[in-house]
Amino acid sequence: MRVVIADDSVILREGLTRLLTEAGFEVIGQAADAVELLAQVDAHHPDVAIIDIRMPPTHTDEGLRAARELRARYPRLGLLVLSQHVRAGYAVELLSHGTQGIGYLLKDRVSDLTELADAVRRVGEGGSVLDPSVVAQLVKRRRPGEDPVEDLTDREIEVLGLMAEGRSNKAIADRLFVTEHTVEKHVQNILAKLHIPATADDHRRVLAVLTFLNSR
Amino acid sequence: MTRTLFRNISIIRSILLSTAALAAGVAVARVMLTNSVRHATWVEVALVLALGWSFIASGLIAWRYRPENRIGPVMILTGVLRFVGALRWSQDPFLFTVGHTLEAAYLAGVAFILLAFPSGRLESTSGRWLFAAAVFPSVVLNVTWLALGGHDPQVCVGCPRNVLIELTQLPAIAYAVEIVQYILGALVAVFSFAVLLRRWRAAGPRLRFVIAPVLWVGAGAFGVFLLWLTNLFRAGVPLGAHLIHLLLRHGSAPDLLLDVVVALVAFAFLLGLLRTRLAHSAVADLVIELGTTPAPGELRAALGRALRDPSLEVAYWLADAGRYVDSRGQPVRLPDQKDGRSVTLVQRDGRMIAALVHDSALDEDQQLIESVGAAAALALENEQLQAELRARLDELAASRARIVEAAQAERQRIERDLHDGTQQRLVSLAMTLGLAEAKFAADPGAAQAYVREARSGLSEALQELRELSRGIHPAILTERGLREALGELIDRTRVPVALDVSLSERLPERVETAAYYLVSEALTNITKYAEATSVSVRVARINGRALIQVRDDGKGGAELSRGTGLRGLRDRVEALGGRLTLASPPGQGTVLKAEIPCE
Repeated sequence: MRVVIADDSVILREGLTRLLTEAGFEVIGQAADAVELLAQVDAHHPDVAIIDIRMPPTHTDEGLRAARELRARYPRLGLLVLSQHVRAGYAVELLSHGTQGIGYLLKDRVSDLTELADAVRRVGEGGSVLDPSVVAQLVKRRRPGEDPVEDLTDREIEVLGLMAEGRSNKAIADRLFVTEHTVEKHVQNILAKLHIPATADDHRRVLAVLTFLNSR
Repeated sequence: MTRTLFRNISIIRSILLSTAALAAGVAVARVMLTNSVRHATWVEVALVLALGWSFIASGLIAWRYRPENRIGPVMILTGVLRFVGALRWSQDPFLFTVGHTLEAAYLAGVAFILLAFPSGRLESTSGRWLFAAAVFPSVVLNVTWLALGGHDPQVCVGCPRNVLIELTQLPAIAYAVEIVQYILGALVAVFSFAVLLRRWRAAGPRLRFVIAPVLWVGAGAFGVFLLWLTNLFRAGVPLGAHLIHLLLRHGSAPDLLLDVVVALVAFAFLLGLLRTRLAHSAVADLVIELGTTPAPGELRAALGRALRDPSLEVAYWLADAGRYVDSRGQPVRLPDQKDGRSVTLVQRDGRMIAALVHDSALDEDQQLIESVGAAAALALENEQLQAELRARLDELAASRARIVEAAQAERQRIERDLHDGTQQRLVSLAMTLGLAEAKFAADPGAAQAYVREARSGLSEALQELRELSRGIHPAILTERGLREALGELIDRTRVPVALDVSLSERLPERVETAAYYLVSEALTNITKYAEATSVSVRVARINGRALIQVRDDGKGGAELSRGTGLRGLRDRVEALGGRLTLASPPGQGTVLKAEIPCE
């Protein structure tokens, strides 16, 4: 899988390159800012672009804007956005335009080679990745008044989190050491309790769950 | 002392002169009325007295209140000349001759006053020419007329002999001269009026107020003159013939008309003077008005009323800042002496308080401004303090905002440093360790290399963190005190620095911190801009105040207002109740000095 990395920190770019190379990816380009990133993608047509949110010149959300631009130009390019901080708002904004081939990961996560490799691969294959800490933040968020999340069992909350992270029923089943059928039952219960219309499509499910969590 | 003496002289002079004027008037009236040959009417006597006395009285008042203005003496002289001119009613040949010779001389005085009003100087060339043109018919031509035998005993029935000058008997030429006299006189009157009108149009409100009465009367006189002229034309008689006819048959009629007009002019001048007198009484009103503390800005209006100058502005002097502000504390710039604005400074007990910016016409009455300034000095001082307070509050608010902004900018800088430096390094370290972990089982040698790399990366991260925390607050300052902290600072400076810290005990922490950053910023500036070859840093405690001084031998030219660094330092020092001064003449090095109270 061919990857382009955009981050203004050289140390980080080099580290990521080494890590991804080790994990069997082909890093075909590096960029220090959004402009370079667009040029690299135009030149090399990678499968995945790994983008730091905060880049020059304003050091705010250039990465997010570059991702949006890339999504418009190359709908099938996988986008993995890295962030230093947990910002649920950014994550939801990123995924709200379609969750296919899009990921939002905390930088801390990249030290785990298997997790990073898994995330890059999933995004490259058109799946979605949402950092567990973002999901945890969204789920933990409490709103005064009636909150349907409180009706969920602990197991259901666990499943909800994994759904929101962008995992398929099978992946959830593997993770929880249960059968896929059990997961399906949990999912049905969750969607019913939260009044989210059921859908067979994983992507639309992620979006629905995220939208629900974010709009509470 | 000197002032009192002058005032006494002026009072004595006034008394003497008015007594003499009264006596002269009475004497002239007696001469006119007791003449059994030629009877002067009461109207004529009254006009002469009114004219003479009003000019002398107005002159005395003017002289007293504006000793430096020539109009006063000239008015007195004009009145006296009128009396002298009236001596032509005397049967005594000598007095008659003197009177006849100087009969019209007072008109030259009137012309001077008109042209020089109110400054007392003939400021323009046209003014000087007009005055000369007035002297010519009223004095020179009058004498010529006499010399040519204008004094015709046949016309002047019962007149005594002309004792002085009578070269020849040419009555026709004498009449012609007389006509020229009238025409020239009329022209001078018209042009003087034009000059006055032009000056009125160019004048500020205050000068207009003073000129106005003179202008009204001038306009009246002008009107009378025009009426007189059109009457001549309507009669269809040639001008010259009619004039001669007038002079022959009703010799005194034009004289009477002239006297009425001129007397009115005297009253107009008196009124103009009274207007400044009224203004003087307005000083008393002002004192009463200022008894109740005026609202901010109200003082300006009250002073404007007292000086009859609505355009008056007050600029308060801030000694500390060395600049003027208005009553709201906003900086103001004093005008140049041009464009009709003048500045009068108000002091109290030798201290500068304020500057009154007023219509230049008020320069004529410096005494009025000074008395208004003196009357209002206390109120002005009061408002000065308030303006100073407001200016300080504004400055304080601005400095507080700058401190908040600086703190915010500093936080942002620290966050950026942390994000770009330490955090990235730590993430990279985590990745290296991740790699080591992945290699651990399969390739222990490679894993060990990664761990080694991670360890050296960790020391670099620690080093970065140390640098950063020193930027936030130098730990050495807290631990070892100012001397050591400055020593370390100097060790990192490229220019040689002589350090002299004379402190028996440690300064309060906030003063220490301020001193440290002052020196740090100063050394940074010196290294960056000053091109200095040596620097001395001195810290001492004198009379409960910390004195911090950084001196270099560089190129100078630094300014406190330029650059955020120095301004930030000043804010920091002033926030501690201290003062920061900078002396940096170009080419002569720079001395940055701070005094901070440390009780």
